[in-house]
Amino acid sequence: MSPVRRGETLPIHNRIAVLRAERRLSRAHLAEAIDVNPQTVGALERGDHYPSLDLALRICDVFGLPVEAVFARTEFGPLSTEMYGRTTRPNAGGDPQ
Amino acid sequence: MTHPDTTSLIGRYQAYRTRRFLANERKWAQQLPSWRTRDRKRKLVVGLAATFVFMFAVGVVCNFGIWWGPLLWLPACALFFPLLIAVRIVSGRQDDAPEATLDEWEIAQRNSARSIGLAVTQSLVTVAAMYLIFGAVITDNKNGDLVYAGGIFVLTALLIGSCTPAMILAWTRPDLEPDDES
Repeated sequence: MSPVRRGETLPIHNRIAVLRAERRLSRAHLAEAIDVNPQTVGALERGDHYPSLDLALRICDVFGLPVEAVFARTEFGPLSTEMYGRTTRPNAGGDPQ
Repeated sequence: MTHPDTTSLIGRYQAYRTRRFLANERKWAQQLPSWRTRDRKRKLVVGLAATFVFMFAVGVVCNFGIWWGPLLWLPACALFFPLLIAVRIVSGRQDDAPEATLDEWEIAQRNSARSIGLAVTQSLVTVAAMYLIFGAVITDNKNGDLVYAGGIFVLTALLIGSCTPAMILAWTRPDLEPDDES
């Protein structure tokens, strides 16, 4: 669902499930922190509901991250790939690839 | 969750409604625990829908002037009230909950279900009203059974429309996952 009234609904992808797993937060605990029903967290993670700005900022506060780290128009890649994907490892002989 | 203005009359009434709803919710939250799965909630919704079909059938029987027809409304009510109460308990009465007790996803779902309920009410009551109007013209206002049956059709249409939001919410709400429970 989107608060936008007309026109094409643009997707809002999020990384809530990954961030929650990384911090070992249950849905119930995250829901308590942002004052919603646990099933609403499930709806956000599945993309069934796009959050209001207020709710998005609350979620970002819990994770201590900026909005663009949690929500984006394009699909997120794996977090580990984003962190380490561009670095190259030296081969066995020590020569850089 | 939204927080109502408590300075105006409407705001104070909403605050009172919210307090009353939360007190009732604490009372009903533990009721019918085995009926809170999606599968069983859907069974209750199907039961309620079957009751509406029965109510419509009572109207049809009354239309033909069968003397015991109106008595069938009693078993219909005996089915309707327990089923409606059960559906509303297991769906957390979200169709009727004050906004301050719901979060934004629940409000969006509730509004969507209410919108469908309003459309259903308008459509069915219009059909029942047309039946009464055209029936009165065709029978030259001389068929009391038709009027009685029309009244039952209108009442059934209103009950269907008013129960539709609760039925939709009970039908669509997913089961709690283990991660959802603290």
